[in-house]
Amino acid sequence: MVPEQQQLHSIGQATWRRDGQAKVTGAEEYVSDITLPRMWHARVLRSPYAHARIVHVDTSYAEALGAVCLTHADIPKIRYNERIVSTPPHLYRDRYVLADKARHVGEAIAAVAAPTEAAAEQALRALRVEYEVLETITDPEVAMWDGTEPIYTNVQLGDQELSIEHNIAVQRTIELGDIEHGFANSAVILEREFATSRIYHAQMETKGVVCRPESDGGITVWPTAQSIHNVRQLLGEIYSLPLHKINVKRVPIGGTFGSSIQMNSVIPICVGLTLKSGKTIKLVTTREEDMYDHVRYPSRIRLKLGATKDGLLTAGHMHALSDIGAHNTQAFAFLSVLSGWWASLYKLPAMKFEGKAVYTNKTPSCAMQGFGNPQATFAVESLMDDLADALGIDPVEFRLRNYVGLGGTFWGQGPSVQSIVLSDGVPELLEKGMEKIGWPGRPVSGSQTGRYRRGIGMARGFHTSGAGAPKPGEVIDYSGAFIKVNEDGTVDVVHALMDHGGGTLDAIAKIVAEELGIPSDRIGISPADTLTTVYDVVTHATRGVYAGGGAAHKAARKVKAILLDYASRVLGIETNALVIEPDETLGQGVIYCPSFPERRITVGALAKLCQTNSWGSIAAVESLRQVNCPPAYVAYFVEVEVDTETGSVRTVRAVIGSDCGTVVNPDLAVGQLEGGLSKGLGYALVEDNSWEQESGRLLSKGFWVDGKTPAMSESPLLEDIDTFFADSYEPSGPFGAKGIGEAATNPCAAAYGNALYNALGIRFTELPITPERIVASMVAAESGATKAVLV
Amino acid sequence: MIGQHPADLGGHGGGGPTEHANPTETQMEDFTNTHILVGEFELIEPHTLAQASESLRTHAGEAVIMAGGTDLLVGMKMEHIRTKYVISLGRISALKRVDTNSDLVIGATASIRDVAHNSVVRQQYCALAEACQSFSTMQIMVMGTVGGNLCNASPAADTAPALLALDASVHLTSGVREREIALSEFFTGPGGTVLSDGEVLEHISVPAPSLSTGSAFLKMGRVAADISKVSVAVTVVRSEDRVRQCRIALGAVASTPRRIVAAESELLGEKPTISGISKVSQLVQQAIEPITDVRSTAAYRRHLAGVLVGDAFRQAWLRAGGGEIT
Repeated sequence: MVPEQQQLHSIGQATWRRDGQAKVTGAEEYVSDITLPRMWHARVLRSPYAHARIVHVDTSYAEALGAVCLTHADIPKIRYNERIVSTPPHLYRDRYVLADKARHVGEAIAAVAAPTEAAAEQALRALRVEYEVLETITDPEVAMWDGTEPIYTNVQLGDQELSIEHNIAVQRTIELGDIEHGFANSAVILEREFATSRIYHAQMETKGVVCRPESDGGITVWPTAQSIHNVRQLLGEIYSLPLHKINVKRVPIGGTFGSSIQMNSVIPICVGLTLKSGKTIKLVTTREEDMYDHVRYPSRIRLKLGATKDGLLTAGHMHALSDIGAHNTQAFAFLSVLSGWWASLYKLPAMKFEGKAVYTNKTPSCAMQGFGNPQATFAVESLMDDLADALGIDPVEFRLRNYVGLGGTFWGQGPSVQSIVLSDGVPELLEKGMEKIGWPGRPVSGSQTGRYRRGIGMARGFHTSGAGAPKPGEVIDYSGAFIKVNEDGTVDVVHALMDHGGGTLDAIAKIVAEELGIPSDRIGISPADTLTTVYDVVTHATRGVYAGGGAAHKAARKVKAILLDYASRVLGIETNALVIEPDETLGQGVIYCPSFPERRITVGALAKLCQTNSWGSIAAVESLRQVNCPPAYVAYFVEVEVDTETGSVRTVRAVIGSDCGTVVNPDLAVGQLEGGLSKGLGYALVEDNSWEQESGRLLSKGFWVDGKTPAMSESPLLEDIDTFFADSYEPSGPFGAKGIGEAATNPCAAAYGNALYNALGIRFTELPITPERIVASMVAAESGATKAVLV
Repeated sequence: MIGQHPADLGGHGGGGPTEHANPTETQMEDFTNTHILVGEFELIEPHTLAQASESLRTHAGEAVIMAGGTDLLVGMKMEHIRTKYVISLGRISALKRVDTNSDLVIGATASIRDVAHNSVVRQQYCALAEACQSFSTMQIMVMGTVGGNLCNASPAADTAPALLALDASVHLTSGVREREIALSEFFTGPGGTVLSDGEVLEHISVPAPSLSTGSAFLKMGRVAADISKVSVAVTVVRSEDRVRQCRIALGAVASTPRRIVAAESELLGEKPTISGISKVSQLVQQAIEPITDVRSTAAYRRHLAGVLVGDAFRQAWLRAGGGEIT
């Protein structure tokens, strides 16, 4: 709830985002649009084998064609982790710029650059690589067997060598309380195994980079990236360049869903080619290369939960296995957050989490929208429904009795990032959601007959807002902003934050406008690069508005204080007696004293006076670590219709409620929820992205035609998507705001699973719930083999 | 085992990149450069069909015909197709026609969208209109052609079952000789047709249906904009409350789109009933040879074919003026 004294002029208003017109007209320039004088083009040679030693790379024919070639021999022998969000002691370093050994189909082995892309392609085909092909390991269980070929013998953890046994990249056990005691005191105990798939991010833009050598020995880089500063630091580390000689530019990004949280693998390759050749080089991947570059972490989760007959949870035990593929990008963090999301969904007096992340010869996993949350929530929210059923308690009531809400402890990024919940819209989300979907009228699960059956299901969840906490943890989290008032009273906001497409930077402008009392159209977002911005860790963990916006808010407060100081000098009124408000007629901010309204000056006039009187610039730079990680709660209620003969599922209606604190821009917030539904229903019902066991190739071969993701046709009609926001205010957020982006998708798959259970009386424990699986389960259920599909 | 990547360096001395090592062996096909058309080719754009046939004969074995290009260009980017000459039919305006004066005549380069939006097609050739609409994505519908969809001869070509069920024939010309054959004789295997060297599809003709004829097309993919897991088209001609004629065709369940003649005769002269339709579905399921691939499984395809045949039959019967089947 917004405090009464807060009269907001910018926050909460539905406004057009400032980059919207450029995006819809095609004027926006992405990396692939960048063309520089005398620019060469690069291509990467990728391993056709899932697991192979590289015996020899012969570049002589390619060089004879005039190409510049880069191989493992050319690059610094520095192992690194391309995602430096974890603190250094928790960084697992297992990769080189170009591989020492092919560990998955598509691994970058060598690269070439030539004056045109056609010439580069010709040179690429003139490279000769001799491989010694090794056993392909695609099954994580097989990977752990004695005698299985090791994918790594050792990697680096922090600065130390770490030997890898049984291809296990990392294990984590987290235990709180006595689970044996808890289970012993349970009236009902249920246990099931759940599986989720390694889906591709399917962001619109594939990865690209342009690198230009500078005459002072430095480089300028235009990358596809979620963090320009982390890209700069990694390039400095790998190529031993001082940071002031590396300028990484922020380039608009065509969506990420997390796929650029790390420094993308092509960035250091392109830089290596530039440093070797002295040429400006552009490297843009094809869709097929991109599909072999990253996937969501899959999961096999065995979950056991106990509850008393009064419907209070007693204990939980979760085993999690994740097939991380060929590189450990953030498996440690993944296991941490799996445990954390689980611990934060419901109050468990005792819990034990045992997680394993295993290397295989497949595309490396990386964070994807929700980072472990859709996986954990699918398991937990499916089992919560079953528990409610077993106890004879309404599923929503059961959740209300057990959820972690106001005053509870929320794990925003695993066990080391915890803070107390200060805002909680969950009761409102659940009550309104029930009313809107018609919860009391839903059918008894499994009671229907006939070809078409409808079901209503719900699931709740959240995502964190940022990875900040009172104590320093395993995760780096802070932002910074530089704000200056121009000589006409307009404002430039210089912030390193990346906008993934959700309008985060537009929200930052609105926050600054609100604090300064200046109309939001007078606030500009400056182009950003690493030379002119202060550090921002990365846009991830739904932290853009909450943490990035928090830093901008802090800097705006300081700018406001400077403005009022100068105004005090001009108006002869005490600083504390002055306010700034936007004046619609003048179209700008006006500083005045409410007791003496005739004593007033526009921000523009004041800024001009500051300049002409040589008083100085009105500007401030601030950096902020949020010391909370507030949960951005979400509740999903979906109604589905199943054609039991074809197994196809139609979304009849979806009700999505969000507690994102203060809503900064209602239209964009609704867009986040609608997008979360689209992405979530793809995860629930469609996307598979499977691998051939023998060859380690994608069944789709990386071709988009078989990498299916839902489009508009699969989405319900807009009038059948009902979105709403809880009346909520987060005390630690800018103007009460917290996050929304990843929360928007997290409970979606679980809600579909529960709706299908309601329609058919069949519990689906494996994603995606395809028509093939539905028909097979119907047949099994009808032949009395129901147990076969239940675990 | 020692692998090489790629082994063949032939022809890299001069002009453009040329042939390279066996792509299956080196698995290069996953990483072709789909930004650009790697293989060099000459684009020929004749203004008449005679010129097109002439070019095709001149460059026999080295040329391909392009209608809309939606399959061809993808194939060339993926390097499944390598060719020295691409003969585009795009400038031959007569081939774009959709003529509904008597029988339906569809020129070789009439777009999927033009056919889908044609009001006569929508009223009288429902199965074809539905098949064209099922392409779903605007870009493909605008560029893609019905003629190209047939000549590409994918087992999953969506217009093929519809046109088979509508008893279409194709008019082929080589500039020297012309012939007209039933569409059911046209396909020889995945990607294969009876088109001989120098021969071009000129148009497709579909006999005008009687008033008591109804047709329907149904397909299922993983999503709407997808290659079919199974596609089905049924045409029924009604005589009072009995079936006078029936044609059933399926896509994506055999090496070519095909009619299932064994199932078509089941209800001839009969009143359609639920059990009769169920028998038709079973006959279809017995006759097809579906496979398991990235899109679906053989078992599901067989199951789905039965369901969709029943649904399409009921829809076609309604459109033929028959009632609800009980």
